[in-house]
Amino acid sequence: MSLVSTRDLTVTLPPDTDRAHAVDGVSLEIAKNEIVCIVGESGSGKSITAHAVMGLLPRGVRATGGEILFDGVDLLKEAPDAMRKRRGRDIAMIFQDPMAALNPVVAIGKQVTEQIRAHCAVTERVALAQAADLLGQMGLKDASGLLKAYPHQLSGGQRQRVMIAMALSLLPRLLIADEPTTALDVTTQAQILKLIKRIQAEREMSVLFITHDFGVVADIADRVAVMRHGRVLESGATAQVLREPAHSYTRALIAAVPSGDNLLAPLPDAAPLMAVTGLTKRFRRGGFFARNAVTAVDNVSLTLKRGETLGIVGESGSGKSTLARCVIRLLDPEEGEILFDGADIAHLSPRGLKPLRRRIQMVFQDPFSSLNPRQTVADIITAGPRAHGESAKAALARAADILRLVGLNPETMHRLPHEFSGGQRQRIGLARALMLKPDILIADEPVSALDVTVQAQVLKLLDDVRRQMNLAMLFITHDMRVAAQVCHRVMVMRHGQVVEAGPTRDVFAAPSSDYTRALLAAIPGRGTL
Amino acid sequence: MRFARRFFSRPTALIGFALFAAIALVALLAPVIFARGPFSIVGMPLLPPGAPGLLAGSDVLGRDMAVGLAYGARISLLVGIASTLFAVGIGVLLGAVAGYYGGLVDDLLMRVTEFFQIIPSFVLLMVLVAFLQPSLGSTVIGIALVTWPQVARVVRGEFLSLRNREFVQAARTLGESDARIIFTQILPNALPPIVVVSSMMVGSAILTESALSFLGLGDPNLLSWGSMIGGARSAMWVAWWTTVLPGLSIMVTVLALNFIGDGLNDALNPRRRG
Repeated sequence: MSLVSTRDLTVTLPPDTDRAHAVDGVSLEIAKNEIVCIVGESGSGKSITAHAVMGLLPRGVRATGGEILFDGVDLLKEAPDAMRKRRGRDIAMIFQDPMAALNPVVAIGKQVTEQIRAHCAVTERVALAQAADLLGQMGLKDASGLLKAYPHQLSGGQRQRVMIAMALSLLPRLLIADEPTTALDVTTQAQILKLIKRIQAEREMSVLFITHDFGVVADIADRVAVMRHGRVLESGATAQVLREPAHSYTRALIAAVPSGDNLLAPLPDAAPLMAVTGLTKRFRRGGFFARNAVTAVDNVSLTLKRGETLGIVGESGSGKSTLARCVIRLLDPEEGEILFDGADIAHLSPRGLKPLRRRIQMVFQDPFSSLNPRQTVADIITAGPRAHGESAKAALARAADILRLVGLNPETMHRLPHEFSGGQRQRIGLARALMLKPDILIADEPVSALDVTVQAQVLKLLDDVRRQMNLAMLFITHDMRVAAQVCHRVMVMRHGQVVEAGPTRDVFAAPSSDYTRALLAAIPGRGTL
Repeated sequence: MRFARRFFSRPTALIGFALFAAIALVALLAPVIFARGPFSIVGMPLLPPGAPGLLAGSDVLGRDMAVGLAYGARISLLVGIASTLFAVGIGVLLGAVAGYYGGLVDDLLMRVTEFFQIIPSFVLLMVLVAFLQPSLGSTVIGIALVTWPQVARVVRGEFLSLRNREFVQAARTLGESDARIIFTQILPNALPPIVVVSSMMVGSAILTESALSFLGLGDPNLLSWGSMIGGARSAMWVAWWTTVLPGLSIMVTVLALNFIGDGLNDALNPRRRG
């Protein structure tokens, strides 16, 4: 007997958007005591479907067809007031970004008890006791201390546990989780997935879990529905869908999850193009006279050969991005040397750096903020050559070739960045870097903001470009799966220090540190996919 | 063009723009329509509006109020726009440098900015204008000197958030010079709030100029709305039009500018689009 079933659910978008329907005739069943995953890429309608069940669609977006039966009652026909009472009590929801979902100026205890007291007539003290108990169940230590804390004092994982505690405080029968682990580190993600599965089994509730990651699906779901362009392409038992995907798109999604097979072999010995020794970067906290400094990068050494990709893997706060920014001298390191082509560039002045700029280039993480929204693609990618004295005309002539190389139509070069998709923007960012014919390319999480199928294309492009131009590449990522796909060697960082380094094959086959083992074990879908 | 459609879709913006255009037209054409100038005496003093040949009546000295109002518009708009241009120039430069470089430079420039902000600005302005001798130039410079800090603060705030964007970091890795990054990468993205603040500043500069002229600190050789009110103080109770008409002119002009500012804010602010 299903708890929730949607029949031909259609959600209409406002008239001036590029599509008519966000969700187009979706039928889903969620049985009691099971976890159903909706998996899809951005724009697939997976999130809108979840919000429709919750009765919380964005302004202007309306459910115009079909029905959502919850225990036999059509939620689309419920009065707003009745629907409000159901939220929290019958259906609860957790979100991707727990920081945005928590009020930053209200203590955790107050936020957790507010929910309880809004639905049940209990005193503040009883509610607080319940809250502390709930936080304990979520695996949070020192619950009474946490209740007095404010959101910014908690880690990302702690915040998501608090969100889950709040969602579960009224014993809902359905928990909707909208990408709840996407913003978290892998090891934290693994813990939260385990927690959701445990709580679901203990309380025998139903979970509707939204994700873009088939690895996560493999770990958590009983059944899975694959969505694209507002339609369900395929659904069934998870094991069945993973073993014999019926739809070609499902096969593409599963294939796009980096598998960890065909790892690159390390390159033969050669003189390094760049050698970093004892690099240290501290950030002073607080004002001018503040004493406590945070060591973001702590005595890191590495070498990089021509044609080689070195992966720097670590979770947030590991110092991997700071290291990259020191190497490209966006930041000034305090100690250590960066030997590039025989000369130390760690302490060069801005003037001395200028000729070097064109030889070390960078691709950034965020395809939206990394391109100036007010410049055309032509302006963006010729800016580098122009800064180094090339005439605008000559640069423009080369721009077409570079755009073709990264897989873009040169005729689009007079458009503004907002007319391109995330994957295309990342290609523009790469074209900007390649225009200077660099020796070293630093890629800072270049695919972490992209959909999985686009991710696979951009990774392939980066690898092709590296081969063609014999580039040395420093590849920063938090994702072991991605690192496995493109790197000859990897270096694992934690708290600013190198935990382990070696050829990718060796690190994956026989990790020497506990931390690397934990990272590898936390990869979602490991063993199943 | 989508910008123009967004701007004019607000009725208040349309009204503001129409009013401002009308006032600007009158100001531009004043010497053509009223060639004899605002100081010439045309008849008996304190004739009410509608008296023969006197659309807006005459003032205490028997001068044509309509001519005074038209010439006053020239001064008000000139002072408002010129002082705002100066203030925006100083404010953008200092705010951009402070926000882009941060650290010690920022601390230093912000202390200077605060120095100007903690002094009662109108008192400082009166001292400045009195010290420089009252004239059109000293009024413009004085107003610019007391109003640039608000521009500097807005620009600094925008630069502080924009300088950490990845496209700015990218420009640095490409080897672009700081000046180029400030003017071609960051400034175009910081323009919307600057435009909005400036349109509001024109209005407040007009008010300030009127207050200065009212106190007799305006250019003695020019007639402005403020000095018209100041000169007619004694006749306020017997001839309402001598003070009310220039007062209304100030009010309508400032209101029009505020409407334009609101309209620009909505049209330029991407968060309120759609």
